[in-house]
Amino acid sequence: MSTPSTTPTGGGVFTARPSAARTWERYGILVLRSATYLILFCGLAIFGNIVVQGSRTVFKSSAPFINTDFFTRAPETLYIFEHDGKKQELGDREFRAYQADLAAAAAAKGEPAPKVKVLESYVYSAGGIMPNIVGTLLLVAGSMTIALFLGVSAAVYLNEYAKPSRYITLIRLAILNLAGVPSIVFGLFGFGLFVVFLGWNVSLLAGWFTLAFMVLPVIITASEESLKSIPKGFREGSLALGATKWQTIRKNVLPYALPGILTSSILGIARVAGETAPIMFTAAYVVRDKLPWEGLESWTDFFFQGVMALPYHIYVVSSKIPQNEYTERVQYGAAFVFLLLVACVAAFSIYLRNRMRNTYRW
Amino acid sequence: MRFLGLTMDECVRYFFEGNAIVSVIVLALITLFLFKEGFSFFGQNSTNLRVYRSAGLEFVDILKEQESGHTALTRYVSEVRLAWFRQLTGPGKLSVAQANERLQGFDTFAAQYDEAAAPLRAMLAGGPDAEASLTDIAIALKTKFLVLEDRKVERQQLIDAGKPAEAARLNLTEVDFATELKPLLAIRPLHAQANKDFAAALEDSLRALPKLPTPELDRMSTRLRDLTRQYLDSFPSYAERLASWDYSVPVPWYRSFSAFLFGRQWLTASFWQDWYGILPLFSGSLLVSLVALLIAVPLGVGAAIYVNQLSSSREQRFIKPCIEFISAFPSVVLGFFGIAVLGEALRAISGFDWLSWVPGFPFSERLNILTAGSLLALIAVPTIFSLSEDAINNVPRAFRDASFALGATRLQTILRITTPAALSGIISAILLGFGRVIGETMVVLLCAGNRIAIPDFSSGLGVVTQPVHTMTGIIAQEMGEVVRGSIHYRALFVVGLVLFMLALVINYVAQKIVTRYRISIG
Repeated sequence: MSTPSTTPTGGGVFTARPSAARTWERYGILVLRSATYLILFCGLAIFGNIVVQGSRTVFKSSAPFINTDFFTRAPETLYIFEHDGKKQELGDREFRAYQADLAAAAAAKGEPAPKVKVLESYVYSAGGIMPNIVGTLLLVAGSMTIALFLGVSAAVYLNEYAKPSRYITLIRLAILNLAGVPSIVFGLFGFGLFVVFLGWNVSLLAGWFTLAFMVLPVIITASEESLKSIPKGFREGSLALGATKWQTIRKNVLPYALPGILTSSILGIARVAGETAPIMFTAAYVVRDKLPWEGLESWTDFFFQGVMALPYHIYVVSSKIPQNEYTERVQYGAAFVFLLLVACVAAFSIYLRNRMRNTYRW
Repeated sequence: MRFLGLTMDECVRYFFEGNAIVSVIVLALITLFLFKEGFSFFGQNSTNLRVYRSAGLEFVDILKEQESGHTALTRYVSEVRLAWFRQLTGPGKLSVAQANERLQGFDTFAAQYDEAAAPLRAMLAGGPDAEASLTDIAIALKTKFLVLEDRKVERQQLIDAGKPAEAARLNLTEVDFATELKPLLAIRPLHAQANKDFAAALEDSLRALPKLPTPELDRMSTRLRDLTRQYLDSFPSYAERLASWDYSVPVPWYRSFSAFLFGRQWLTASFWQDWYGILPLFSGSLLVSLVALLIAVPLGVGAAIYVNQLSSSREQRFIKPCIEFISAFPSVVLGFFGIAVLGEALRAISGFDWLSWVPGFPFSERLNILTAGSLLALIAVPTIFSLSEDAINNVPRAFRDASFALGATRLQTILRITTPAALSGIISAILLGFGRVIGETMVVLLCAGNRIAIPDFSSGLGVVTQPVHTMTGIIAQEMGEVVRGSIHYRALFVVGLVLFMLALVINYVAQKIVTRYRISIG
């Protein structure tokens, strides 16, 4: 860790005399400081913009203060139409009901059904984002399970069993390089292997494995870090009492390392949830009527179905439909919910880690 | 207790070991599948290029190239007209109708200049007594060849299915390119005369170019004359290329690779000829990344120096988690921000008069290199920041203390001692940031403008205000729409392969720099 600066800044006779170097120093520090705060400002500006604009969609001024429709319904097409000289906007379902009502009322009076003039319509701009949230949660849960399983085991091997050798260097090199592979390449790989070669089609399973492999290096590095911080004495004590290596690891290493592993891995969750490119052609559908647990013929179907995912939805609504007052609500709303989801996870992990650092000291 | 002759402990050990190898396997599989899906692209592209030559598309393209040279010149003519028009109109000057009237002389010239290409156009239409234009002939020939190829595949399938009788019934007469190409090649003797007419008409029209009033316009007209002269000088080369063209010259084996690596066009699903050249995408990716690094490096490294060397520990505890938090921003949300806010804001800023000295300002495309680059900078900053901070932190304290003891100020110590000592780490941090940025997909897909063309460098630094397409963006955009197994599909995998290799090389270099130039602490 770095140390606070130790410039000689005493008082009295030791006060530094003003000089050109000191003036330069003042300006230099000012420049560096403004660079730092500029970064924070940009981050804050983006965060603030999304939060402020998005909260208009997500929150309401009346009880229950949260736009429940937005969280419980699927995306629908928004119709802006004119009837009786009034301009109205309704989602697909309500619009049909409205038309049916009008037709019924007219039929009762014996008149032909009135024509409703549709001015504009925008796909995905009404309703909510419930299936998308569900899909993202499913993707994250599955891929993190796989990645944690593989990653922690790999870290245990590398930290507890492996002796320095060429072979271990190779594994470490692979991990290091895997971390640098662009996410879209993982998407291509997942498409080539899972979707095409193994014939899983666009499915949860394909998305899980693609995301899991992408986040694997993060998990391995985090787990190793955590395992390394367990003092040698823990292991030696156990081994000296006659425990086998596996018993030692199970009883005396993993339990202490696990909190650390989990906290660091949460940051991996943020990465998995935030990525769009790998799931674009492995797991995500633009639109799907059914929720993942609806209409399954057998339980295995669950794994072989595509889902709607929040990041992909944001991509679709921000690139495929025009920007205006009607569509902006759902765009900002989805971005806000997603950002908040990821930000909460990230903030939680950062908080936990900082707390961990202060809790365990051996 | 033993299982397959192994003790429990050994079983556990091998289980863990197996999981550790997964990373190696995944890396190998990525390489394997990118190659598997991508490699036959080169074979297919070779056929693609062979047909391009045999069916005479290449021949027609020589003429088209000559014509497009003229089109570019006429575009310059209309630029001149626009400039003159702008000078005439405006507050306190002529009305639009009056200005148009004043420009009548110039318009006659422009029409004449445009008309000069008539002989060439007539040739492209197939000559004086042709039934079909050259384009149609070539396309018909190409289609014929492709149908034949399809039939060959069909025959193979029929034979495999045990139906030799039906296979034998398929008409598999090879396309006789020599005879089919005759109507195309018949154009050759006419070309010399057409060139002569064309050149004469152009020079005639230039003589009709009216005198332009202001020095600026005069410069433009001189430039037009120069450009026209250059264009006329290039005529013999076209004639020569047409004369020496031969459909039967085989396409060299390396063409398929060089057409991909150095191809200046990425053109798909075209009726004429598909081109898979990576240069426009590569240059787009590179420019966006450079802009991002140009912004991110000073900020990231500056912040790292500040946080590590100058800030109080309370400030540190605040800034570091914040920057870590920024790294968790999903890229698709940043991309959306670019579309919704930043692009429009940058365009508005570029419209300010007092900023018109900045190259490329004002610009009209809100989604361009600059927009995407600024957002990518925010993605690169956390990477560069945390890795540089580590590097600076690893510089031994003694270096700093010695410098202070000699009376250096903090800034002098940072600039002369600490930063140079940590330079290898900082450079590798920048490289890894570069790797992160060039592999980033969503921001460039949403904000880079998605125009597939090599940016025009003639405007100098103003190039950053042009829209581009990128390697990552093209994969994300087109992968969902292509037919599996088609040449386009394979081309996208090869682009992925290039990205993958690039990432590996960047990683490798970054590691080498760290280990090679680390200052020995002793």
